[in-house]
Amino acid sequence: MKDVVTTSAVFFNYALLAVFAQNAVFTRALGVSRLVQLVGDDRTSSWLFGMQLCITQILVTPFAWYAGSRIAPLANRAQLRPLVYFASIAVVCLLEHAVLWMAKGLPHRSALLRIVPLAGLNSCVLGTVLVERTQSFTLGQSFGFGLGSGLGYVLAVLLVTEARHRLRSKAIPEAFRGLPITLVYVGVLALAIYGFTGHSVIL
Amino acid sequence: MRRATAELIVKDPGKFAHHDRVFLNNPVVMQGMGLAPLVVLATSGQNAVMLAAAVALLLVPSRVLACLLSRLVPLYDEDPAPETLQKKLLPRALVYGFSTAVVYLAVYPILNMLFGTSLLSLGIYLPMLTVEPLLTYRFGRVQETVRKAVSKGLRITVGYALLLVLLGCIREWLAAGTVFGMAVSRPVLPMAGMPAGGFIVLGVLCAVWRALAAKRRAYLTKEAGNLVDVHSQKEADREG
Repeated sequence: MKDVVTTSAVFFNYALLAVFAQNAVFTRALGVSRLVQLVGDDRTSSWLFGMQLCITQILVTPFAWYAGSRIAPLANRAQLRPLVYFASIAVVCLLEHAVLWMAKGLPHRSALLRIVPLAGLNSCVLGTVLVERTQSFTLGQSFGFGLGSGLGYVLAVLLVTEARHRLRSKAIPEAFRGLPITLVYVGVLALAIYGFTGHSVIL
Repeated sequence: MRRATAELIVKDPGKFAHHDRVFLNNPVVMQGMGLAPLVVLATSGQNAVMLAAAVALLLVPSRVLACLLSRLVPLYDEDPAPETLQKKLLPRALVYGFSTAVVYLAVYPILNMLFGTSLLSLGIYLPMLTVEPLLTYRFGRVQETVRKAVSKGLRITVGYALLLVLLGCIREWLAAGTVFGMAVSRPVLPMAGMPAGGFIVLGVLCAVWRALAAKRRAYLTKEAGNLVDVHSQKEADREG
Protein backbone atom coordinates (compact mmCIF):
# COMPACT_ATOMS: atom_id res chain seq x y z
CA MET A 1 0.00 0.00 0.00
CA LYS A 2 2.82 2.37 0.93
CA ASP A 3 4.52 1.68 -2.44
CA VAL A 4 1.31 2.52 -4.32
CA VAL A 5 0.94 5.83 -2.43
CA THR A 6 4.62 6.70 -2.97
CA THR A 7 4.45 5.88 -6.71
CA SER A 8 1.25 7.91 -7.11
CA ALA A 9 2.77 10.84 -5.23
CA VAL A 10 5.88 10.75 -7.46
CA PHE A 11 3.67 10.55 -10.57
CA PHE A 12 1.56 13.57 -9.60
CA ASN A 13 4.57 15.59 -8.37
CA TYR A 14 6.34 15.15 -11.70
CA ALA A 15 3.15 15.86 -13.63
CA LEU A 16 2.68 19.13 -11.70
CA LEU A 17 6.35 20.00 -12.18
CA ALA A 18 5.97 19.56 -15.95
CA VAL A 19 2.72 21.57 -16.17
CA PHE A 20 3.90 24.63 -14.25
CA ALA A 21 7.54 24.84 -13.13
CA GLN A 22 8.97 23.22 -16.28
CA ASN A 23 6.21 23.96 -18.76
CA ALA A 24 7.20 22.66 -22.20
CA VAL A 25 6.36 25.90 -23.99
CA PHE A 26 7.08 28.64 -21.46
CA THR A 27 10.39 27.36 -20.07
CA ARG A 28 11.81 25.30 -22.95
CA ALA A 29 9.91 26.55 -26.03
CA LEU A 30 9.21 22.93 -27.00
CA GLY A 31 6.76 22.61 -29.89
CA VAL A 32 6.40 26.37 -30.17
CA SER A 33 6.72 26.38 -33.99
CA ARG A 34 3.69 24.07 -34.23
CA LEU A 35 1.87 26.15 -31.60
CA VAL A 36 2.12 29.39 -33.59
CA GLN A 37 1.03 27.55 -36.75
CA LEU A 38 -1.92 26.10 -34.85
CA VAL A 39 -3.05 29.59 -33.84
CA GLY A 40 -3.48 30.59 -37.47
CA ASP A 41 -4.86 27.22 -38.62
CA ASP A 42 -8.66 27.21 -38.56
CA ARG A 43 -8.84 23.63 -39.91
CA THR A 44 -7.16 22.06 -36.85
CA SER A 45 -8.94 22.07 -33.50
CA SER A 46 -6.64 23.06 -30.62
CA TRP A 47 -8.50 20.69 -28.29
CA LEU A 48 -8.12 17.69 -30.58
CA PHE A 49 -4.47 18.49 -31.24
CA GLY A 50 -3.76 18.88 -27.51
CA MET A 51 -5.57 15.64 -26.65
CA GLN A 52 -3.73 13.73 -29.38
CA LEU A 53 -0.41 15.16 -28.24
CA CYS A 54 -1.08 14.11 -24.62
CA ILE A 55 -1.96 10.56 -25.71
CA THR A 56 1.15 10.31 -27.91
CA GLN A 57 3.31 11.72 -25.14
CA ILE A 58 2.13 9.14 -22.60
CA LEU A 59 2.28 6.19 -25.00
CA VAL A 60 5.80 7.09 -26.15
CA THR A 61 7.13 7.13 -22.57
CA PRO A 62 7.60 3.36 -22.01
CA PHE A 63 9.01 2.73 -25.50
CA ALA A 64 11.44 5.64 -25.22
CA TRP A 65 12.42 4.74 -21.64
CA TYR A 66 13.24 1.18 -22.67
CA ALA A 67 15.05 2.26 -25.86
CA GLY A 68 16.97 4.93 -23.92
CA SER A 69 18.14 2.42 -21.32
CA ARG A 70 19.29 0.04 -24.10
CA ILE A 71 21.51 2.66 -25.78
CA ALA A 72 22.74 4.25 -22.52
CA PRO A 73 25.88 2.02 -22.25
CA LEU A 74 26.91 2.66 -25.89
CA ALA A 75 29.74 5.09 -26.63
CA ASN A 76 27.89 6.68 -29.57
CA ARG A 77 24.57 7.12 -27.73
CA ALA A 78 24.43 10.88 -28.40
CA GLN A 79 24.58 10.16 -32.12
CA LEU A 80 21.87 7.48 -31.92
CA ARG A 81 19.37 9.37 -29.75
CA PRO A 82 17.21 11.02 -32.45
CA LEU A 83 16.96 7.80 -34.49
CA VAL A 84 16.08 5.60 -31.51
CA TYR A 85 13.58 8.02 -29.98
CA PHE A 86 12.01 8.83 -33.32
CA ALA A 87 11.59 5.09 -33.89
CA SER A 88 9.68 4.95 -30.56
CA ILE A 89 7.47 7.84 -31.70
CA ALA A 90 6.92 6.12 -35.07
CA VAL A 91 5.75 2.91 -33.37
CA VAL A 92 3.24 4.88 -31.28
CA CYS A 93 2.00 6.88 -34.29
CA LEU A 94 1.49 3.68 -36.29
CA LEU A 95 -0.43 2.13 -33.37
CA GLU A 96 -2.65 5.21 -33.03
CA HIS A 97 -3.22 5.30 -36.78
CA ALA A 98 -4.20 1.61 -36.83
CA VAL A 99 -6.65 2.08 -33.93
CA LEU A 100 -8.24 5.14 -35.56
CA TRP A 101 -8.39 3.36 -38.92
CA MET A 102 -10.37 0.50 -37.36
CA ALA A 103 -12.66 2.70 -35.22
CA LYS A 104 -14.92 3.69 -38.11
CA GLY A 105 -17.67 5.30 -36.00
CA LEU A 106 -15.37 7.45 -33.81
CA PRO A 107 -16.31 11.17 -33.74
CA HIS A 108 -13.68 13.45 -35.38
CA ARG A 109 -11.95 10.34 -36.77
CA SER A 110 -10.94 12.04 -40.01
CA ALA A 111 -9.47 15.06 -38.20
CA LEU A 112 -7.63 12.82 -35.73
CA LEU A 113 -6.10 10.75 -38.55
CA ARG A 114 -4.70 14.00 -39.97
CA ILE A 115 -3.49 15.17 -36.55
CA VAL A 116 -1.60 11.96 -35.60
CA PRO A 117 1.52 12.76 -37.69
CA LEU A 118 1.40 16.46 -36.71
CA ALA A 119 1.35 15.55 -33.02
CA GLY A 120 4.01 12.85 -33.41
CA LEU A 121 6.49 14.89 -35.44
CA ASN A 122 6.55 17.59 -32.79
CA SER A 123 9.51 18.84 -30.81
CA CYS A 124 7.39 18.76 -27.63
CA VAL A 125 7.20 14.94 -27.79
CA LEU A 126 10.86 14.34 -28.68
CA GLY A 127 12.04 17.15 -26.37
CA THR A 128 10.18 15.73 -23.36
CA VAL A 129 11.62 12.27 -23.97
CA LEU A 130 15.12 13.77 -24.21
CA VAL A 131 14.62 15.75 -20.97
CA GLU A 132 13.47 12.55 -19.19
CA ARG A 133 16.67 10.79 -20.31
CA THR A 134 19.09 13.65 -19.54
CA GLN A 135 17.59 14.00 -16.05
CA SER A 136 17.73 10.19 -15.53
CA PHE A 137 14.04 9.86 -14.59
CA THR A 138 12.65 6.48 -13.53
CA LEU A 139 9.76 4.99 -15.51
CA GLY A 140 7.19 6.33 -12.99
CA GLN A 141 8.74 9.79 -13.03
CA SER A 142 8.85 9.69 -16.83
CA PHE A 143 5.13 8.83 -17.03
CA GLY A 144 4.25 11.72 -14.71
CA PHE A 145 6.54 14.14 -16.55
CA GLY A 146 5.20 12.97 -19.94
CA LEU A 147 1.58 13.51 -18.91
CA GLY A 148 2.38 16.88 -17.31
CA SER A 149 4.33 17.99 -20.36
CA GLY A 150 1.39 17.14 -22.63
CA LEU A 151 -1.05 18.96 -20.31
CA GLY A 152 1.33 21.92 -20.07
CA TYR A 153 1.41 22.12 -23.85
CA VAL A 154 -2.40 22.00 -23.99
CA LEU A 155 -2.52 24.80 -21.40
CA ALA A 156 -0.17 26.92 -23.53
CA VAL A 157 -2.12 26.18 -26.73
CA LEU A 158 -5.40 27.17 -25.06
CA LEU A 159 -3.93 30.35 -23.55
CA VAL A 160 -2.63 31.43 -26.95
CA THR A 161 -5.70 30.43 -29.00
CA GLU A 162 -7.92 32.17 -26.40
CA ALA A 163 -6.06 35.42 -27.08
CA ARG A 164 -6.11 34.91 -30.86
CA HIS A 165 -8.86 37.47 -31.54
CA ARG A 166 -7.23 40.12 -29.38
CA LEU A 167 -3.86 39.48 -31.01
CA ARG A 168 -5.46 40.27 -34.38
CA SER A 169 -6.79 43.62 -33.14
CA LYS A 170 -6.40 46.65 -35.39
CA ALA A 171 -4.97 48.53 -32.39
CA ILE A 172 -1.76 46.50 -32.75
CA PRO A 173 0.76 48.06 -35.19
CA GLU A 174 0.61 46.24 -38.53
CA ALA A 175 4.20 44.92 -38.39
CA PHE A 176 3.49 43.28 -35.01
CA ARG A 177 0.24 41.55 -36.06
CA GLY A 178 0.35 37.74 -36.32
CA LEU A 179 3.57 35.95 -35.38
CA PRO A 180 5.51 38.84 -33.71
CA ILE A 181 2.78 39.76 -31.23
CA THR A 182 2.10 36.06 -30.52
CA LEU A 183 5.78 35.62 -29.60
CA VAL A 184 5.74 38.72 -27.38
CA TYR A 185 2.52 37.44 -25.72
CA VAL A 186 4.07 34.00 -25.05
CA GLY A 187 7.14 35.76 -23.65
CA VAL A 188 5.01 37.81 -21.24
CA LEU A 189 3.13 34.65 -20.14
CA ALA A 190 6.49 32.91 -19.61
CA LEU A 191 7.62 35.83 -17.42
CA ALA A 192 4.42 35.53 -15.38
CA ILE A 193 5.16 31.84 -14.79
CA TYR A 194 8.74 32.63 -13.72
CA GLY A 195 7.16 34.95 -11.15
CA PHE A 196 5.63 31.93 -9.43
CA THR A 197 8.29 29.30 -9.95
CA GLY A 198 11.58 31.05 -10.67
CA HIS A 199 13.59 30.06 -13.68
CA SER A 200 16.35 27.54 -14.20
CA VAL A 201 16.18 25.44 -17.33
CA ILE A 202 18.17 22.21 -17.48
CA LEU A 203 19.16 21.50 -21.07
CA MET B 1 17.56 45.15 -61.90
CA ARG B 2 17.28 42.92 -65.00
CA ARG B 3 14.27 43.27 -67.28
CA ALA B 4 13.19 39.64 -66.79
CA THR B 5 13.24 40.11 -63.00
CA ALA B 6 11.28 43.36 -63.30
CA GLU B 7 8.64 41.68 -65.47
CA LEU B 8 8.37 38.81 -62.99
CA ILE B 9 7.86 41.26 -60.10
CA VAL B 10 5.21 43.23 -62.02
CA LYS B 11 3.43 40.04 -63.11
CA ASP B 12 3.34 38.34 -59.70
CA PRO B 13 4.98 40.21 -56.77
CA GLY B 14 3.83 37.51 -54.33
CA LYS B 15 5.60 34.74 -56.26
CA PHE B 16 8.82 36.75 -56.47
CA ALA B 17 8.80 37.38 -52.70
CA HIS B 18 7.96 33.73 -52.03
CA HIS B 19 11.22 32.59 -53.69
CA ASP B 20 13.37 34.84 -51.49
CA ARG B 21 13.88 32.71 -48.38
CA VAL B 22 16.57 34.98 -46.96
CA PHE B 23 14.85 38.34 -46.52
CA LEU B 24 11.37 38.76 -48.04
CA ASN B 25 10.09 35.29 -47.06
CA ASN B 26 12.46 34.29 -44.26
CA PRO B 27 11.26 30.92 -42.83
CA VAL B 28 11.40 32.18 -39.24
CA VAL B 29 10.00 35.67 -39.66
CA MET B 30 7.19 34.84 -42.08
CA GLN B 31 6.31 31.23 -41.21
CA GLY B 32 7.48 30.80 -37.61
CA MET B 33 9.71 27.77 -38.27
CA GLY B 34 12.61 26.63 -36.09
CA LEU B 35 11.61 28.78 -33.11
CA ALA B 36 12.63 26.52 -30.20
CA PRO B 37 16.43 26.68 -30.72
CA LEU B 38 16.19 30.41 -31.46
CA VAL B 39 14.29 31.19 -28.27
CA VAL B 40 16.26 29.02 -25.84
CA LEU B 41 19.74 28.64 -27.29
CA ALA B 42 20.48 31.66 -29.47
CA THR B 43 21.73 33.55 -26.42
CA SER B 44 25.24 34.14 -27.73
CA GLY B 45 27.04 34.47 -31.03
CA GLN B 46 28.95 31.23 -30.45
CA ASN B 47 25.79 29.17 -29.76
CA ALA B 48 24.19 30.70 -32.84
CA VAL B 49 27.16 29.72 -35.03
CA MET B 50 27.08 26.12 -33.71
CA LEU B 51 23.34 25.87 -34.39
CA ALA B 52 23.74 27.42 -37.84
CA ALA B 53 26.46 24.87 -38.66
CA ALA B 54 24.19 22.02 -37.49
CA VAL B 55 21.29 23.28 -39.64
CA ALA B 56 23.61 23.81 -42.62
CA LEU B 57 24.86 20.23 -42.40
CA LEU B 58 21.44 18.69 -41.74
CA LEU B 59 18.94 20.55 -43.87
CA VAL B 60 19.92 19.99 -47.51
CA PRO B 61 21.03 16.31 -47.27
CA SER B 62 17.99 15.30 -45.20
CA ARG B 63 15.63 17.18 -47.52
CA VAL B 64 17.13 15.49 -50.60
CA LEU B 65 16.99 12.04 -48.97
CA ALA B 66 13.38 12.60 -47.87
CA CYS B 67 12.48 13.95 -51.31
CA LEU B 68 13.78 10.75 -52.95
CA LEU B 69 12.14 8.38 -50.46
CA SER B 70 8.82 10.25 -50.35
CA ARG B 71 8.34 9.50 -54.06
CA LEU B 72 6.95 6.17 -52.80
CA VAL B 73 4.00 8.10 -51.27
CA PRO B 74 3.80 11.29 -53.32
CA LEU B 75 1.34 14.14 -52.79
CA TYR B 76 0.37 15.74 -56.10
CA ASP B 77 -2.23 18.34 -55.05
CA GLU B 78 -1.59 21.53 -53.10
CA ASP B 79 -4.87 20.89 -51.28
CA PRO B 80 -5.30 17.10 -51.26
CA ALA B 81 -8.57 15.30 -50.48
CA PRO B 82 -9.05 14.17 -46.84
CA GLU B 83 -8.89 10.48 -47.91
CA THR B 84 -5.49 11.04 -49.56
CA LEU B 85 -4.19 12.82 -46.47
CA GLN B 86 -5.40 10.00 -44.21
CA LYS B 87 -3.44 7.49 -46.27
CA LYS B 88 -0.28 9.44 -47.11
CA LEU B 89 0.39 11.97 -44.36
CA LEU B 90 1.73 9.54 -41.73
CA PRO B 91 4.03 7.59 -44.09
CA ARG B 92 5.39 10.87 -45.44
CA ALA B 93 5.92 12.24 -41.91
CA LEU B 94 7.84 9.08 -40.96
CA VAL B 95 9.96 9.30 -44.13
CA TYR B 96 10.91 12.90 -43.34
CA GLY B 97 11.57 12.19 -39.63
CA PHE B 98 13.71 9.10 -40.29
CA SER B 99 15.63 10.80 -43.12
CA THR B 100 16.67 13.63 -40.80
CA ALA B 101 17.56 11.21 -37.98
CA VAL B 102 19.70 9.12 -40.38
CA VAL B 103 21.51 12.20 -41.69
CA TYR B 104 22.08 13.24 -38.04
CA LEU B 105 24.12 10.02 -37.59
CA ALA B 106 26.66 11.38 -40.07
CA VAL B 107 26.40 15.03 -39.00
CA TYR B 108 26.98 14.54 -35.25
CA PRO B 109 30.63 13.33 -35.56
CA ILE B 110 31.40 16.28 -37.85
CA LEU B 111 29.93 18.76 -35.37
CA ASN B 112 31.78 17.00 -32.55
CA MET B 113 35.04 17.36 -34.47
CA LEU B 114 34.35 21.05 -35.18
CA PHE B 115 33.15 22.21 -31.77
CA GLY B 116 34.23 19.50 -29.25
CA THR B 117 32.78 19.82 -25.77
CA SER B 118 31.15 23.19 -26.58
CA LEU B 119 28.55 21.14 -28.42
CA LEU B 120 27.22 19.98 -25.03
CA SER B 121 25.89 23.50 -24.42
CA LEU B 122 23.26 22.88 -27.13
CA GLY B 123 21.77 20.12 -24.92
CA ILE B 124 18.53 18.56 -26.14
CA TYR B 125 18.09 21.20 -28.86
CA LEU B 126 20.65 19.62 -31.18
CA PRO B 127 18.92 16.20 -31.49
CA MET B 128 15.56 18.00 -31.43
CA LEU B 129 16.43 19.71 -34.72
CA THR B 130 15.51 16.42 -36.41
CA VAL B 131 11.78 17.06 -35.87
CA GLU B 132 11.80 20.85 -36.31
CA PRO B 133 9.23 21.94 -38.92
CA LEU B 134 12.08 23.85 -40.61
CA LEU B 135 13.51 20.49 -41.70
CA THR B 136 10.35 18.39 -41.98
CA TYR B 137 7.53 20.74 -43.06
CA ARG B 138 7.52 19.36 -46.63
CA PHE B 139 5.82 16.13 -45.53
CA GLY B 140 2.42 17.79 -45.76
CA ARG B 141 3.16 19.65 -49.01
CA VAL B 142 3.17 18.70 -52.67
CA GLN B 143 6.01 16.43 -53.91
CA GLU B 144 9.11 18.45 -54.92
CA THR B 145 11.96 17.62 -57.30
CA VAL B 146 15.52 16.99 -56.10
CA ARG B 147 16.69 20.20 -57.78
CA LYS B 148 14.07 22.23 -55.93
CA ALA B 149 14.91 20.44 -52.67
CA VAL B 150 18.58 21.48 -53.01
CA SER B 151 17.87 25.04 -54.11
CA LYS B 152 15.16 25.73 -51.51
CA GLY B 153 17.17 23.92 -48.82
CA LEU B 154 20.20 26.13 -49.44
CA ARG B 155 18.15 29.34 -49.41
CA ILE B 156 16.32 28.33 -46.22
CA THR B 157 19.66 27.46 -44.59
CA VAL B 158 21.07 30.90 -45.41
CA GLY B 159 17.91 32.67 -44.18
CA TYR B 160 17.78 30.70 -40.93
CA ALA B 161 21.52 31.02 -40.24
CA LEU B 162 21.39 34.76 -40.83
CA LEU B 163 18.56 35.22 -38.34
CA LEU B 164 20.21 32.87 -35.82
CA VAL B 165 23.49 34.79 -35.80
CA LEU B 166 21.71 38.15 -35.72
CA LEU B 167 19.49 37.13 -32.80
CA GLY B 168 22.40 35.44 -30.98
CA CYS B 169 24.51 38.62 -31.20
CA ILE B 170 21.62 40.92 -30.18
CA ARG B 171 20.73 38.76 -27.16
CA GLU B 172 24.36 38.39 -26.11
CA TRP B 173 24.78 42.16 -26.26
CA LEU B 174 21.53 42.82 -24.36
CA ALA B 175 22.12 40.16 -21.70
CA ALA B 176 25.88 40.31 -21.19
CA GLY B 177 27.05 43.46 -22.98
CA THR B 178 29.34 41.42 -25.27
CA VAL B 179 29.34 40.23 -28.89
CA PHE B 180 31.22 36.96 -29.56
CA GLY B 181 32.75 37.39 -26.10
CA MET B 182 34.13 40.90 -26.75
CA ALA B 183 32.91 43.61 -24.37
CA VAL B 184 30.76 46.23 -26.13
CA SER B 185 28.79 47.90 -23.35
CA ARG B 186 27.33 47.13 -19.95
CA PRO B 187 24.46 44.56 -19.91
CA VAL B 188 21.33 46.36 -21.10
CA LEU B 189 18.60 43.76 -20.52
CA PRO B 190 19.71 40.65 -18.58
CA MET B 191 16.27 39.06 -19.18
CA ALA B 192 17.20 38.67 -22.87
CA GLY B 193 19.29 35.64 -21.92
CA MET B 194 16.23 33.72 -20.66
CA PRO B 195 13.61 31.97 -22.84
CA ALA B 196 10.98 34.61 -21.93
CA GLY B 197 13.37 37.32 -23.10
CA GLY B 198 14.07 35.21 -26.17
CA PHE B 199 10.37 35.20 -27.10
CA ILE B 200 10.09 38.96 -26.64
CA VAL B 201 13.33 39.92 -28.44
CA LEU B 202 12.51 37.53 -31.31
CA GLY B 203 8.97 38.97 -31.53
CA VAL B 204 10.33 42.53 -31.78
CA LEU B 205 13.01 41.47 -34.28
CA CYS B 206 10.34 39.73 -36.42
CA ALA B 207 8.19 42.89 -36.39
CA VAL B 208 11.12 45.09 -37.47
CA TRP B 209 12.14 42.54 -40.13
CA ARG B 210 8.56 42.35 -41.46
CA ALA B 211 8.26 46.14 -41.65
CA LEU B 212 11.58 46.37 -43.56
CA ALA B 213 10.54 43.48 -45.85
CA ALA B 214 7.23 45.22 -46.63
CA LYS B 215 9.11 48.46 -47.46
CA ARG B 216 11.61 46.58 -49.66
CA ARG B 217 8.76 44.80 -51.44
CA ALA B 218 6.95 48.06 -52.14
CA TYR B 219 10.20 49.62 -53.40
CA LEU B 220 10.96 46.65 -55.69
CA THR B 221 7.41 46.65 -57.10
CA LYS B 222 7.62 50.39 -57.83
CA GLU B 223 11.09 50.13 -59.40
CA ALA B 224 10.08 47.11 -61.49
CA GLY B 225 6.93 48.94 -62.69
CA ASN B 226 9.05 51.98 -63.74
CA LEU B 227 11.60 49.78 -65.50
CA VAL B 228 8.95 47.86 -67.44
CA ASP B 229 7.31 51.18 -68.44
CA VAL B 230 10.65 52.58 -69.68
CA HIS B 231 11.34 49.45 -71.74
CA SER B 232 7.82 49.51 -73.21
CA GLN B 233 8.27 53.21 -74.09
CA LYS B 234 11.64 52.50 -75.76
CA GLU B 235 10.13 49.66 -77.81
CA ALA B 236 7.21 51.87 -78.85
CA ASP B 237 9.65 54.66 -79.89
CA ARG B 238 11.73 52.19 -81.95
CA GLU B 239 8.66 50.90 -83.72
CA GLY B 240 7.44 54.46 -84.34
